[in-house]
Amino acid sequence: MRIKDKTVYQNLGSCGFGGASNVGCVDVLDGKVARIRPLHFGDTYTPDELNAWSYEVRGKTFTPGSKTLLPPIALAYKKRAYSPNRVPYPLKRVDWNPKGDRNPQNRGISGYERISWDEATQIIAEELVRIHDTYGNRAILVQGEGHGETKVISGAHGCSTLLLDQIGPETDEYTVQARQPDSWEGWYWGAKHVWGCESHGQQNPQDNVVWDISKNCDALLFWGADPETTPWGWGGLQPSRLCFWFTEIGVKQIHVAPDVNYTNACHADRWIPVLPNTDAALQLAIAYVWITEGLYQKDYVATHVEGFDWFEYYVLGNEDGIPKTPAWAAEKCGVPSYRIKAFARYWGTHLVSIAHCNGGGYIRSCFAHEPARLEAYLLGMQGLGRPGVNQLKFIEWDLQDLYPVPPSTVSPSLYASYHGWKMHAPKYFFPKTMTPKAITNPPVSWYGHVLCSMNRTDQFLGFEYPGDGPRIHMIWSDTPCWETCWNGGNDYQEAVRDESIEFYLVQHPWMENDTLMSDIILPISTIFELKDIASDIYSGQWNMIVYEEQAIEPIGESKGDYAAVGEVAKKLEQFGGIYEGIYEKYTKGRSFEDDLRIAYENSSIPLDEYPYQKFLDQKFLLFPTEENWKDRKVGFQPFFEDPIANPLKTPSGKLEFYSLGLAENFPDDKVRGPVAHWIEEADGHEERISSKRAEKYPHLLVSNHPRWRVHAQHDDIPWTREIATCKVKGPDGYLYEPIWVHPTDAEKYGLKDGDIAELFNERGGVLGGVRVTERIMPTVLYQDHGARTDILKYGRQGLDRGGANNLICPTATSSKNAAGEVTNGFLVGIRKIDIDQIARQYPEAFARDYHPQIGLVASARIIEGE
Amino acid sequence: MMSKVFLIDLNKCNGCYNCQIVCKDEHCGTSWLPYTAEQPETGQFWMRLVEKTRGQVPWVRVSYTPTLCAHCAEAACIAAGRGAVYRRDDGLIIIDPETAKGNKALVDSCPLGAIFYNDELDVAQKCTGCAHLLDNGWDVPRCVDACAHDAILYKEEAEFGELLSKAEFLKPVADLGPKTYYLNLPKRFAAGTAVDFAADEVLIGATVALKNADGVVATQITDDLGDFKFDQVASDTYTVVISAEGYIPTKAVADLTERDLSLGDLGLIRA
Repeated sequence: MRIKDKTVYQNLGSCGFGGASNVGCVDVLDGKVARIRPLHFGDTYTPDELNAWSYEVRGKTFTPGSKTLLPPIALAYKKRAYSPNRVPYPLKRVDWNPKGDRNPQNRGISGYERISWDEATQIIAEELVRIHDTYGNRAILVQGEGHGETKVISGAHGCSTLLLDQIGPETDEYTVQARQPDSWEGWYWGAKHVWGCESHGQQNPQDNVVWDISKNCDALLFWGADPETTPWGWGGLQPSRLCFWFTEIGVKQIHVAPDVNYTNACHADRWIPVLPNTDAALQLAIAYVWITEGLYQKDYVATHVEGFDWFEYYVLGNEDGIPKTPAWAAEKCGVPSYRIKAFARYWGTHLVSIAHCNGGGYIRSCFAHEPARLEAYLLGMQGLGRPGVNQLKFIEWDLQDLYPVPPSTVSPSLYASYHGWKMHAPKYFFPKTMTPKAITNPPVSWYGHVLCSMNRTDQFLGFEYPGDGPRIHMIWSDTPCWETCWNGGNDYQEAVRDESIEFYLVQHPWMENDTLMSDIILPISTIFELKDIASDIYSGQWNMIVYEEQAIEPIGESKGDYAAVGEVAKKLEQFGGIYEGIYEKYTKGRSFEDDLRIAYENSSIPLDEYPYQKFLDQKFLLFPTEENWKDRKVGFQPFFEDPIANPLKTPSGKLEFYSLGLAENFPDDKVRGPVAHWIEEADGHEERISSKRAEKYPHLLVSNHPRWRVHAQHDDIPWTREIATCKVKGPDGYLYEPIWVHPTDAEKYGLKDGDIAELFNERGGVLGGVRVTERIMPTVLYQDHGARTDILKYGRQGLDRGGANNLICPTATSSKNAAGEVTNGFLVGIRKIDIDQIARQYPEAFARDYHPQIGLVASARIIEGE
Repeated sequence: MMSKVFLIDLNKCNGCYNCQIVCKDEHCGTSWLPYTAEQPETGQFWMRLVEKTRGQVPWVRVSYTPTLCAHCAEAACIAAGRGAVYRRDDGLIIIDPETAKGNKALVDSCPLGAIFYNDELDVAQKCTGCAHLLDNGWDVPRCVDACAHDAILYKEEAEFGELLSKAEFLKPVADLGPKTYYLNLPKRFAAGTAVDFAADEVLIGATVALKNADGVVATQITDDLGDFKFDQVASDTYTVVISAEGYIPTKAVADLTERDLSLGDLGLIRA
């Protein structure tokens, strides 16, 4: 019996940006993907060859494993390739006529007709020339920076910029929606100003932090962290294995969050429920206990901290007359004062580190910079950097030299052949959080390039759009998930339906989310249909470089992103002048084979030791653990030992409880002031249960990174959709996005398991399926973010059947001077829905093609064609 | 005759559903005749991860139990199969996809609910132990291969040694000689916190006794957060008695017959 014809190796990570992960074996049989399975690299490499690392602690041993640790979304990924929601061929919106009426108001409503690649690229080329000649290319908004399949040569996001760079007169003559932190806002906009950690803002350095926790910690706090979910898309299950390890060696795991996330569910020793985004109150009360009871490292604070007296002054109530006592905090955060005291005393007398993935609820809420800074303060008060006191990051290992587990000798970079936007500081841009406003209501102003790779001082630079340039008239997106991933998707819908947007081009594999509002859609291949190279540096085992052969033929008429943009380049040639020879310029005259070799040879891999031919023959190469990894000092240990010799990247070189940079640059900012505070309401946010708005919308919504998706990716996999935590089957057979409701609240609203309910506020509503559960604390509601939209009514006060709650999250940024997104911990109401009544109200939407297992399908939107 | 068995340790299961999903990856849309016809896209769970949320705020835990055909020594399905269900030399039980056609009684014959009916193909189906892979070079089925935690193992009975002596079986098939052994099947827990509400303090170091009709089953001392948790105790009705020096002991009934219990914050009053 043939069980496969061939095996190819591919990374099935969902990060994008060239950061590969989740390398698996793809078995192909009869031209189709037969199975996806872990790669047993232990069959190719001996532990000696890998210089295998291990921890031997407290009489137990941890080893990294000898196969890749794939998550379920990687193992099920073939369903995305064969999804009936794939874009089958180039499509044009039926009532968008570039020579006549463009009907922008019908975006999202009108259907699509099949056109050929030749027709599609001709239209695109003509539109590009027209936009260039009429407004200049700064009128083009490039959306080419989001997560997605991790490709390099075959086309990462932002291939469009490689082409636009050739039109000139210089490079970067177009407008970019700058890619911001989309999961670590508070660290970036807040914590950096305390400890200077570049560039993401969580603790950096991370060297040997896991080993240190294993050896020294009594407890590890998970402050909203969910290593059983968040790292799945770009790291797999090593974080999960570490949680079991911590249990095995007796490191107590304490979860502080409103919900029982998937790590809490199977690893926690203790759960302390806290109301969403009230962590700052809890943190201040802990500081109060430590200060009043002398439970902090006073000597350390004296030598390592700048401005502790300012903080102490505030905590004790000298500034505003309100001591930040446990009783004060209990009222805000829902944790009883006796528990706050006990928790603070335990922490103050034990060795405790804190674990995060990227976010956790508070890090993506309004004023996220405050709890993030307070966390750095608390770690500082316990002697940050001393054995057992660090902040662990469970994700993106090796990126930016973060090595919480031992590093490999080589960390290959494939940027020499990276076909995508390289995340450099853009010339013309606005923050992604301001895209709707920039389109419909310019000018807008903000601080910083806002890119996640920028350093602290960049946040002090002021910018404005459009300045002397044109407004946006064309959108070119390979990242069509703004609606369901960013801040206030209903506003985004209003923006792209504005008549100023003359042309909206999307290239994407699937008919989903923003794609459904575009004018031309180009079909893009999944990773199985392409050949490429990948560098997996996130696994927490050993770094690996992979030659990704093509597994299957392209589905439909799809092409890779790089090839698709190449087709547009070819069409531009007919216009001559600046377009002459543009295809050659775009490709630099390089073939795939050229790009593959160039990528490898410039990746920092020592070629004498790992010749190119060996890579081609073996298809994957692992790089051994660094010699002497145990000699790397732990995290902040150097700073702990000698803060003068090893200063932080803050103005004072110390932990700045009083942030000098903020004090100097934003002297009037009361929301992100020099010292972190509890902020009740400000800068457009009234998202407290004590807010006036709470009379109408009384519940705080937890909207974590999704369990069964990576942001907007993977929502059409039937094998996850049938899992009870993924979807709830409504009485109408439709699979709704779950809403967790505590039994006491369910009773109050007459809701039972399986009911359909609406989450709503003044920005609109989204539907969901009720799960009555003890996994959420009373009065709080929970629904994952990133569900695929199924819009019943577009725009402000709109309604979505898919449960994409980013549509109704706040549109204001973290605070006035911090342009982060606020997508978690906001107020909603909930009501039971009679779905028959909704069906009568929106008959056309309810008549759309729908696959009972997969959900929305491409045929729902294609009204002509075959 | 070789006799390989599954050993499933629930303390190693993180609930990722890899086992359930790779089973579908192997069998949905692909037939492996003569071992088995293809599995429908959804609705059948030859490997099912049974998920149960236990307890109440703030003591909540989710237990996950990978559940599959137990390939029982005294399998009811073999009798119900009227010759169409057979045992291989390695112990795996196979429903022959040709001769079993039309026999819906097979579904009800399994006390574990591990047999499913494919209406379209008119045949009963279940886990084959990935026999088609084992016969073609694989050592273990897909669910075992995909588990990052070795929570599911498939080996010769003898290779497990002592481990099997601590193992249990799932109740519905316990008497049928199942080849699926389990470690750490969930029992019951009761947890709570001792508090002096008047002083606004938790009580650390209080003695907590768990009693049933026979007397004290277990005792604990409340920890630094004033907490106690009796885990993996038998399903029963208990009384929890908390005593601390200088306080009047307090009692709470913990009926664990049907469910796990958070007893919440239990107040003690000074004597």
